[in-house]
Amino acid sequence: MRVSIFSTCLVDLMSPNVGIAMVEVLERLGCEIDYPASQVCCGQPAYNSGYLQDSKLAMQNMMLAFEASDYVVGPSGSCIAMFHEYPKIFKGEPDWELKAIALKEKSYELTQFIVKVLGVTDVGATLEGTATYHRSCHMTRLLGEKETPFQLLEHVQGLKLEPLKNSDNCCGFGGTFAVKMPEISEQMVDEKCGCVMETGADILISADMGCLLNIGGRLSRKGEPVRIMHIAEVLNQRQPVVSKGGSRT
Amino acid sequence: MTVTTNKSANRNTNKEAFLNTIASKLGRERRTEVQRPAIQEFIPDSYGPLTTDDLVEILKEQCFFIHTQVIESTPEILQQTLSDLIEANGGGTVMLSGDRRFNEYGLAFPDAAVWEETAGRVENIRRAESANTAIVFADCALAESGTVVLESRPDQGRSLHFLPAHYIAVIERRRLVLRSTQAAAELNRRIQAGEPVGSAIQFISGPSNSADIEMKLVVGVHGPLRATYVLI
Amino acid sequence: MSLQTDSRNFSERTTDGLGDSFMRSAVGSAQDSLKTRRLSAATALGDWEQWRNVGQLIRQHTLENLDYYLEQLAGNIERQGGHIYFAATKEEASSYIRDVIMRKQATKIVKSKSMVTEEIELNRVLLEAGCELTETDLGEYILQMDDWDPPSHIVAPALHKDRRQIKRVFTEKLGYTGDETPEKLAGFARTVLRQKFLEAEVGITGCNFAIANLGAINLVTNEGNGDLTAAIPKTHIAVMGMERIVPTLEEMEVLDNLLCRSAVGQKLTSYITVMGPSSAGETDGPEEFHLVVVDNGRSDILGSEFNEALQCIRCGACLNVCPIYRHIGGHAYGSIYPGPIGAVITPLLGGYDDYKELPFASSLCGACTDVCPVRIPLHEQLIVHRQKIVEQKRTGTADRIQMKAASKLLSSPALFGKTLRFAHSASRMMSKQGRIVRGPALLQGWIRSRDLKQPVRQKDSFRAWLEQRKGGSEQ
Repeated sequence: MRVSIFSTCLVDLMSPNVGIAMVEVLERLGCEIDYPASQVCCGQPAYNSGYLQDSKLAMQNMMLAFEASDYVVGPSGSCIAMFHEYPKIFKGEPDWELKAIALKEKSYELTQFIVKVLGVTDVGATLEGTATYHRSCHMTRLLGEKETPFQLLEHVQGLKLEPLKNSDNCCGFGGTFAVKMPEISEQMVDEKCGCVMETGADILISADMGCLLNIGGRLSRKGEPVRIMHIAEVLNQRQPVVSKGGSRT
Repeated sequence: MTVTTNKSANRNTNKEAFLNTIASKLGRERRTEVQRPAIQEFIPDSYGPLTTDDLVEILKEQCFFIHTQVIESTPEILQQTLSDLIEANGGGTVMLSGDRRFNEYGLAFPDAAVWEETAGRVENIRRAESANTAIVFADCALAESGTVVLESRPDQGRSLHFLPAHYIAVIERRRLVLRSTQAAAELNRRIQAGEPVGSAIQFISGPSNSADIEMKLVVGVHGPLRATYVLI
Repeated sequence: MSLQTDSRNFSERTTDGLGDSFMRSAVGSAQDSLKTRRLSAATALGDWEQWRNVGQLIRQHTLENLDYYLEQLAGNIERQGGHIYFAATKEEASSYIRDVIMRKQATKIVKSKSMVTEEIELNRVLLEAGCELTETDLGEYILQMDDWDPPSHIVAPALHKDRRQIKRVFTEKLGYTGDETPEKLAGFARTVLRQKFLEAEVGITGCNFAIANLGAINLVTNEGNGDLTAAIPKTHIAVMGMERIVPTLEEMEVLDNLLCRSAVGQKLTSYITVMGPSSAGETDGPEEFHLVVVDNGRSDILGSEFNEALQCIRCGACLNVCPIYRHIGGHAYGSIYPGPIGAVITPLLGGYDDYKELPFASSLCGACTDVCPVRIPLHEQLIVHRQKIVEQKRTGTADRIQMKAASKLLSSPALFGKTLRFAHSASRMMSKQGRIVRGPALLQGWIRSRDLKQPVRQKDSFRAWLEQRKGGSEQ
């Protein structure tokens, strides 16, 4: 199965480990990986800020970049959810509407792809520790994917999952929201950090880098010793780790 | 007279202009005929077939959540049941609706006040306000929500259900239906057939309550402090 | 009170909200309990998603045929001897009501909670006309006694107040001598308000839904104050936003179920009443009944890209799940309509001049859209607002320049490639020990409270790893 990787700009700029983990996991599951190099960003930051015309340039670039792909898989529920919005945004634009639909239909968030397309729930990962999982709003609500991360995490050997209180509350990231309304965002992320600490977990896992940068950045500022891991990194853990390995923000 | 005519003419112009604005914002001419969607076909049925006993169980369970006492009685002992309840409410004045079923079940409350057309507004409201317990018969009851449905009539005012401190509604088992869906459909059938309905149709589910102070539930605010349903 | 409850700017209002720890803990725990209750009441209904579909269908159908149903409603109300008045503006609405009251030479008025009467500034108009006006909803009464403090939630208006504050208000204004338990406070209000009901000459209510084929209105309450307001005084004036109408009782029934479950997690609230002018022989209820249908900017929404906002049934569920509302509270919105639905409709009714920040006060988490019983795509409507605000160049030059530049970079493979190459070294000047410590305005917003590591060196990047591995399989 040929899979095109959509790395997302946050992984490109900040978190190479996540991209690497995703490739290794998918290859281990028998996928043939390619990487369309002209990809950049899904257009969400500009689109959500109201810059519709500007955002459409980014979207068009992505539709062209992945035109030849069979499957597009990305390590972000939010960015994939954005792909899924394209048909609405390009509705009635003859050159683009069909491309938008085609991209939507072949795009999957990583855990969604593994469980729903590959039909795998045990990727053979091992990670000793106690973790809690943060559901990203866009993955759960916009993409509508609630279960696949848990189905995969349940099969990670050695990993104990603690439920996160108020898990459906947003962490306060919201893309440009976090920088445009920092006072409000800060209170939101503080409450989220409180809930994370309450679980007693030593690892915080999520399927979206944006949330992890936000919660992780706040935890780090507060000096809280919680390890931040993207779910791709967790799924790529092969043996009990000693102390390093995850991406820290 | 002239003033009134002018006023209603103005009002009419007002209405026409108002409705024309709506039509133009919707980008079309005014509509004079509309087919409403058959929503009943889309409403899911999550219960399946139910017996009256099932409905009674559903009603009792729900009434627990809405702070409403349910007493199972029979026509034979209804008089006693109601007298006991009046006693339990601390006695005092009782006010009844003028429902003919009080007679049909042979009930007699010699000292009770009755809501009656001839008493007029002020007197009926005064009687209700000074009553400690109101007793009425439900036109129909909804098991799922623990609701009694009552229509206003000359012998049953709207405020009778609100002014007395305690409220007792007698429910005949055969008048139990599952939920508001059935009650609304039947009422709408009557309306569309041109049959009269009360100027007020009240769906009452338990005593009055409020959570306006710190989200703490207080039972008994403007209306009754306590509600009891007597099933026969 | 009008639509606007606070004329200070958004940031000042927000600062107040964020600094009010009582309010925030009250809102937080209210949200937590209402969320659970809503969920269990929704689940109890069976296929909730299907019920939402039916709710949406009903609202859309009614809006599409609004002129037809309003005309039918008018005919049926007049047939029963009631009056219906169509008010294009808030001034028309409140003057009509004032004139009715003046004609009756009435001064004693009871009101039951209604957001649209706030919108048309009815209380101000009636107080200026010398009326003695009493709000009878417990929460609204508390606010009135506290010198007309604005409501902060569309269902629980006094959510921001605690029992101590309420006791203080009752003691100072009404000579209350009891303790601060909610039971005692509510019991005291019951006694005071009972007298007001009995003396009232005119009752004013809102309207949850008008029923077109019956010529009646529907009120949904728990306290029973709406029923007393409409039953005891000889005159009843009901006020409705023009979109709050259903064809028949069947549609009302569906919407009331969605409303009660979404608003307070009850299957049905204690009192759901359908009422119109009294019939012959009935001795209470209104001898004179007026229904005032208010446009006040709604027709401009009709048929626009914000049309779906008119589907709203004012359940408040979106407020109860909103993480922004949770932290800033209702007053920060500066409008009688707070929360996500407020952020959508307030700028439509009140304009961008005063309310352009509201659509940006959202992380677009979608919780509101998910919970809306009539499927208003609330967070998408916020994005449409943002687009309009950007189109009208109201976001400020700095924001414009930064967003335009970022968009250019994020849509061009070549420019992005350069960025990846130089991001690390470019950020060196702004960084200390691998963390960014200063930068332009947008970055400041982030790093004031969160650590941010420097972008990776190009040689350590994911793309570099792919190339090193086997030259990748790039096209």
